[in-house]
Amino acid sequence: MDLRICVPLGALFEESLGVMEGVGLPVAPLRDAGRRLIVEVPDGPTYITTRPSDVPTYVESGAADIGIVGRDVLLERQPDVYELADLGFGGCRMAWCTPEGDDPTPAALERFGVVRVATKYVNCAERFFASTGRAAEIVKVNGSVELAPLVGLADGIVDLVATGRTLRENGLVERDPIFESTARLIANRVSHKMRAAELDELVRALGGGAA
Amino acid sequence: MTDPVPLPAGVRDVLPVEAAELRALGDALAGAFRAFGYREVMTPLIEMADVLDRAQEDGLGRAYRLFDDDGRVMVLRPDLTIPIARLVATRMGEHPDPVRVSYNARAVRPPAHGKIEGAEQRQAGIELVGAEGPDADAEVIAALASGLAAAGVPDARIAIGSVAVVSAVLDGAGADADARQALWDALRGRSVVDWRAAATGLGAQGPARALLGDLPSLRGGPEVIDAIAGAFPNAAAACGRLAEVVDLVERHGVPAPMIDMGVVRDWSYYSGVVIEAYAAGAMAPVAVGGRYDGLGARFGRSRPAVGVAVALDLLHHAVGRGAEQPDTGVVLVGGSDERVDAASLLRALGVAVVGVPAAYDDADALALADGRRFVVRPDGARWSVRDVISGADLALDDLREGPWT
Repeated sequence: MDLRICVPLGALFEESLGVMEGVGLPVAPLRDAGRRLIVEVPDGPTYITTRPSDVPTYVESGAADIGIVGRDVLLERQPDVYELADLGFGGCRMAWCTPEGDDPTPAALERFGVVRVATKYVNCAERFFASTGRAAEIVKVNGSVELAPLVGLADGIVDLVATGRTLRENGLVERDPIFESTARLIANRVSHKMRAAELDELVRALGGGAA
Repeated sequence: MTDPVPLPAGVRDVLPVEAAELRALGDALAGAFRAFGYREVMTPLIEMADVLDRAQEDGLGRAYRLFDDDGRVMVLRPDLTIPIARLVATRMGEHPDPVRVSYNARAVRPPAHGKIEGAEQRQAGIELVGAEGPDADAEVIAALASGLAAAGVPDARIAIGSVAVVSAVLDGAGADADARQALWDALRGRSVVDWRAAATGLGAQGPARALLGDLPSLRGGPEVIDAIAGAFPNAAAACGRLAEVVDLVERHGVPAPMIDMGVVRDWSYYSGVVIEAYAAGAMAPVAVGGRYDGLGARFGRSRPAVGVAVALDLLHHAVGRGAEQPDTGVVLVGGSDERVDAASLLRALGVAVVGVPAAYDDADALALADGRRFVVRPDGARWSVRDVISGADLALDDLREGPWT
């Protein structure tokens, strides 16, 4: 059976294709996929396209052998997969951000004993506040996180910052960096062993993850 | 409509077809284990929480906790190696070394959110206690390979790593306690990227530096062991032992396991060789195990030990549908009332007989639902027999002459 590769749609899509093309994988059919979610290349790999946050699920379950996903998603989902290489692109930073002016965090902790955090990354936010010894109330939101502190839903947000433009436009500033993220190559635990030669060759072609 | 009848999260019922297939897999493994001299033991479903705390420095992981009448904490066993280590240390302490025991039982762990893994895990495994040589490691790997073959896994692959080799390499690289922790976390988290980042900070130079960065990705045959021993002379003893294990496994007549330094187990009690087995179609390793020499001492009887457990549910996915079992047996109309004598006669011949009352009028549907091939009805002094698969009918004077087998 041919290699099944899970490719994230969205921000990482184009550069993922670039990296795969760079190691000689036929990606043209994927560019022309239109709305198809599965692209089978004759005598080549099968591409599965999904939302970025679903990539670890497909790879962990073995529906895909390997996948490309941001470190942010790995740290949030903590899937049991091999993280084989840092692909270097898709650089961004997980950060704690609050409205500009005086940081409301100390006051919230002092007066209410807890800081209210809006985020898509519930686990990352929980671990960050626990590791810094602060009590946090996490509010899960699914999009436009920047809105939450502006309307009083939360004191601030834990979210990815790439250029910082969205933050500035919404009057937010970064207070604490949490971790840096780039795109990673991940592999299913069983595929990593059953297709050892193939995957080792792929990782070598990618530069041994030294990117 | 009645209200839905819920089950606890992560558990499920096993219906007759699956139960028969799981039973067959367990029997195949047990047969292979018996051939190596392993005898089955059974441990209680509940243990004192203290038993698990003794085995894991970082305390009890995921487990269902219960309280007894005196307020003591008990757990539903989340693992079988620890209860069996307790059994062997406390109940078989006087047994001459080595002790060979096997089990086929269920471990129970609260399901992790968002994971496919079930709460109940059926495990069939072996433990070899009181034997410290590479021959013991090799025997366990050979018994596993032989069990997987007997279970009908067409393409199982076994990979082994070694906690002792990794530990010696870290010593040789001059890793301090913090660096060791970071490297073990990376290894346990299966992150080659994090490992490389942590390894770069160490002082190793030349070939040792390159090898250290690549360690979790190193895999293959004996050349891997030679490379490690070459770059880290202090790891030579651990490497030599691993090479000997591979050699001995081959002499058992099973394929040599792949050496893979990225194979590690999450639980901290492992001390030497670490074993994983894989099969296409199973999302995670179908078997895991290794050497855990320090565990017995925590129950008052220090003995080296090595073992492996097969996850039956994963194995079941890997073997898919076994060889198609032809439907067998008979639905006998009247077999539970007017012709019980005929049912008994057929059973004495070794034929499975589903007895239904003489007035029962749905025998063909029942035969199909239960996987029984024939429906037999009394017809005066004779018997009419319908083959529900082919639809053929025949008449018999004597049930002993039927086409039952």
